[in-house]
Amino acid sequence: MKEVMAFIRQNKVSRTKEALAEAGFPSFTCRKCLGRGRKSVDLSLVRSLIEDGEIPLSTSAESLTESSRLIPKRFFTLIVDDAAVQKVVKTIIDTNSTGNPGDGKIFVIPIMETYRVRDGELDTDMDTLY
Amino acid sequence: MLLVRAIIRPEKVSIVLTELLSAGFPAVTKMDVFGRGRQKGVKVGDVYYDEIPKEMLLCVIKDEDKDDMVKIIMRNARTGEKGNFGDGRIFISPVEDAYTISSGKQGL
Repeated sequence: MKEVMAFIRQNKVSRTKEALAEAGFPSFTCRKCLGRGRKSVDLSLVRSLIEDGEIPLSTSAESLTESSRLIPKRFFTLIVDDAAVQKVVKTIIDTNSTGNPGDGKIFVIPIMETYRVRDGELDTDMDTLY
Repeated sequence: MLLVRAIIRPEKVSIVLTELLSAGFPAVTKMDVFGRGRQKGVKVGDVYYDEIPKEMLLCVIKDEDKDDMVKIIMRNARTGEKGNFGDGRIFISPVEDAYTISSGKQGL
């Protein structure tokens, strides 16, 4: 099993969700986070985004006043079978790619065991999770 | 590639991020988390406060950068000379693959 960990734009979450559900991966975890990548942030661009209302003022203001500029992102993660990794990665790239820096990153991390809390069962095959 | 997860004091985030940037590690993700450590939280009187706010920094780096990264976080996230309980922890796990979404390219 592998964990596919993606850092994506916050306005792409619902589209990613739909695309993954269509591809047969309905379960996921998503949370808010702040981050920065290898490119430095163009602040005038961020300001115009705030003015257009594309990113909410509260989260961005909080992160932009710090010395190290962090941009609000979404941390999107799901656990899938080894064989499904390529399909999931492709789905995420296809739905999130705008061709600009800041689209995000995907990391694939090995998962050793998963347990279902409901009955304490050890899952070796992700199919049984659904 | 390695994933470094550092759980540190919220007031230390700013200095750690600045130092990481100047050491050539610009890419970081930050998240608010709550947790307790081996000391079972903070005891005030008879009450344990065990959901202590911390910040988690996530960073994926090349294998050879591990020692540098850990050293920078250690040095800057520590309080006082010897450090105190609650300064945080660093966890490192393997990453098999990385993709950049904008280009679809494999690798860091």
